[in-house]
Amino acid sequence: MKVSLFITCLVDQLCPNVGISTVEVLRRVGCEVVFDERQTCCGQPAFNTGYRKEAQKFAKRFIEIFEESDADAIVSPSGSCAAMVKHFHELFPEDETWRHRAENTAAKTHELGAFLVNVLKIEDVGASSSGRITWHDACHGLRDLGIRDEPRRLLKNVKGVEFVELANADVCCGFGGTFSVKYPEISAGILDNKIEAIENADVRAVISCDSSCLMQIGGRLSRLNSKVRTMHLAEILAAQE
Amino acid sequence: MEHLTAETFDQNARRALSDPVLHGALRHLADNFAERRKVAMGSVDDWEGLREKARAIKQETLLHLDKYLLQFVEKAEKAGVKFHWARDGREACQIVLDLVNERGAKIVVKSKSMATEEIHLNDALEENGIEPVETDLGEWIIQLAGETPSHIVVPAIHKTKAQIADLFVEKVGIDKTGDVDVLTKTARRILRKRFAEAQVGISGVNFGVAETGTILILENEGNIRLTTGLPKTHIAVMGIEKIIPKFADLDVFLKLLPRSGTGQRLTAYQSFITGVKKNADDEGPNEIHIVLMDNGRSRMLAHPVTRQSLACIRCGACLNACPVYQQIGGHAYGSVYPGPIGAVITPQLVGLSKAKQLPYASSLCGACREVCPVKIDIPELLLHLRAEITDGTAGGAAANPERKRKFAESLAFRMYGFAWSGQLSYGLGIKAARIMQKLIVRDGKIGKASGFLAKLLPPLGAWTAWRDAPAVAPKSFREEWRKTLRSNGGN
Amino acid sequence: MAETSSTISATQNGSAREAILASIRRSLATSEPFDAAWSEHHGHAAISAPVVDPVFSRDKLIENFRNNLELLGAQFALVSSETAASEHVNAVIDKLGAKRIAISDSALVKRLVDESAIEFVENAPASFLFDCDLGVTSAQWAIAETGTLVLESEKESHRLTSLIPPVHLCVLTASNVRQTMGEILELAGKDLSKTMTFITGASRTSDIELTLAIGVHGPGELHVIVIADQ
Repeated sequence: MKVSLFITCLVDQLCPNVGISTVEVLRRVGCEVVFDERQTCCGQPAFNTGYRKEAQKFAKRFIEIFEESDADAIVSPSGSCAAMVKHFHELFPEDETWRHRAENTAAKTHELGAFLVNVLKIEDVGASSSGRITWHDACHGLRDLGIRDEPRRLLKNVKGVEFVELANADVCCGFGGTFSVKYPEISAGILDNKIEAIENADVRAVISCDSSCLMQIGGRLSRLNSKVRTMHLAEILAAQE
Repeated sequence: MEHLTAETFDQNARRALSDPVLHGALRHLADNFAERRKVAMGSVDDWEGLREKARAIKQETLLHLDKYLLQFVEKAEKAGVKFHWARDGREACQIVLDLVNERGAKIVVKSKSMATEEIHLNDALEENGIEPVETDLGEWIIQLAGETPSHIVVPAIHKTKAQIADLFVEKVGIDKTGDVDVLTKTARRILRKRFAEAQVGISGVNFGVAETGTILILENEGNIRLTTGLPKTHIAVMGIEKIIPKFADLDVFLKLLPRSGTGQRLTAYQSFITGVKKNADDEGPNEIHIVLMDNGRSRMLAHPVTRQSLACIRCGACLNACPVYQQIGGHAYGSVYPGPIGAVITPQLVGLSKAKQLPYASSLCGACREVCPVKIDIPELLLHLRAEITDGTAGGAAANPERKRKFAESLAFRMYGFAWSGQLSYGLGIKAARIMQKLIVRDGKIGKASGFLAKLLPPLGAWTAWRDAPAVAPKSFREEWRKTLRSNGGN
Repeated sequence: MAETSSTISATQNGSAREAILASIRRSLATSEPFDAAWSEHHGHAAISAPVVDPVFSRDKLIENFRNNLELLGAQFALVSSETAASEHVNAVIDKLGAKRIAISDSALVKRLVDESAIEFVENAPASFLFDCDLGVTSAQWAIAETGTLVLESEKESHRLTSLIPPVHLCVLTASNVRQTMGEILELAGKDLSKTMTFITGASRTSDIELTLAIGVHGPGELHVIVIADQ
């Protein structure tokens, strides 16, 4: 299975380790991994803030680049970015050709955990770690892509960890893109409910498939000098401690 | 009545966030709702199938709204109902005023109707010397308090029992009590006197059935049965979107609405009213008037995305599921329609320029879409409105001729669009950021931005007020790929 | 809002109607080019096969009805004859200590109440109803799956008698109980009364801190007697 990586600008620039882990996991389960360096951003920030002209530019670039690939699948370590690709067709309301190109690209695009479980039919990637861990359901992954069981199955197969279910795991962390800086007080209020649940869960790490959620949650845990760390799904699946 | 407006949303929200009593009340609502909803959904087969049926019925109706409206009017007129068409809220208020004045009524009893809240009917009546008496307990409480509802279904949810008890002491003259039964029985006693005096009853409408000309109104308290059954004249204010095609369709909505709204299988009472009584000495009003109101609704039909707004059955489930609503409550939205549905219909009803913050006051989490019984894709609607506010590119009747992109934000997004649509400029931009951040990165992260920096880069200030920010990594993924990962492919 | 002495004329009403209809039609035409593409991505989860309601025996129906009524806190009695029903009515009246009792114009109800013992007022005006202790009516149908009573205004005058007194006592025959709401909507829909009322339990509210309070504007107590048919 040949996979073309859609690494996302956030991972590329702020958490490259997530990308490195993604490559490691995919190779470990036998995929050939390629990375087209021309990729930049899926345009989600522009789309979400209402700048559709800019978002359309990003979408077209993405579609053109990935159309050229002979890979079987486009895999991303981000639920929200993979979901954005599914929304590309909305940027071409009056252009049927581009709409179909967008839909075709979307059909090949998967979030990492969903790809492993639903496409490769693999639930044990040979990972091992330690301690109590829990999962935060990132909203786009959960509600746009229907990802709920897959990461839990993968995490339960990580040797040496104790997986606990987070209370209100499926409630938003409060990030919401520019929402987090346009309405920072509301964002912080929502975030604090999530932090409370994490503290009550008594875990050493909270895992998710969206680096933006992890930045939101991790940023607050760090400010509170908490011992709990955030980890991306790819990172714990790559772990072989 | 002095009301908060949507234009000061950010201030409203900040004030709400610093109210611990409100916070407690909202927390209680969220917890309670989640539990009740689970139970309610479990009590019916094929919840998802029902939602899809409801969505399809609403979609079909809205696509042929003129036809179904006319069918409804024809059937109901045959049964003796008088119809009045109102293009906007002012016209609707005028119609109601005229009807009340023509009958010489000085007191009207009202049951809970969001449509009448929308048009500020009570204000119009009071300004013209008529006393409207709210009879729904929650609505009566906020009427006593001089407030607007903060929730579509439980209007006084922002008030604690203690606050309500104090209100009763002040306005009604009973001793302070924490006993909800005593408070309720007090309301019953006082309001029954008003029911006995009123010549006119004003209600809303939950559903209007085109096939039979029937209006259906749901409730738990009994005040709707009294309002529509006791006074000689019944006036119903009805948004034009309340139509459904067939009588049998009510089965679907009667399964969805109570469960979504209050977690009940069925509310205590449903009144199916099909016209005026046959004989003068039968029970019931002598006349029924329905005010069919547009007030911005027909415009929402102009695009498939905005058309969804009209499918709303006012259950309030989206409010209960919304993490933003849970933080700030209903009043902060500055509209009688708060929460997720409020964020999308308020700008369309009052004009985008008067409510342009509301579509942005969401993290787009999608919990609302998940709980909506008629499957309105609220995040899609929010994004559509954001595009309208920013760009006017989404198309359709939400087109806002007064749009103005905020200059700095617009510049930032255009630069991002320009710089990041090319591989080279993307790389250069990041290298520049890596150099500049050395000024503020400590221990691999960025702490709270200083006052000066926060002013210079407001997003950084806003983020770091509560959260540390990650630094741009010393080596990006693509650099790592080029140097190591690419050649370590070995399969 | 300026005070005005003019009322809205028929002409104005007519032009409002035309303006609204025109606006609807114009909007739908504007939407049309985008509708197909949008529909492709929305809804259309295969609409599930119509739910086939299981068929219940008469006894099972009554049992379902009883269970759901009692879940709502209503009092239920199943009797085998009108005589027994009458006794039960008297028992309820005694227990309540009811003195002023309103009844509807139902022939069944009139057969059941003992007018020699207490004064019953039939089709009482609201002024009487506001002061009375008990309202007795029958119901035309009942819905077992929800514990709902169905009242049709053309068949009986019970709208206010079932609403204003603090206690409602309702009698019906077992043959009028159906399992589902859908069945009732179909039956009633064939010959719709001017007002059809569904009653499911006592009047209630959760408007104060979401705490349940019973008996707001309607009756706080509901008694149902089902007479099994021979």
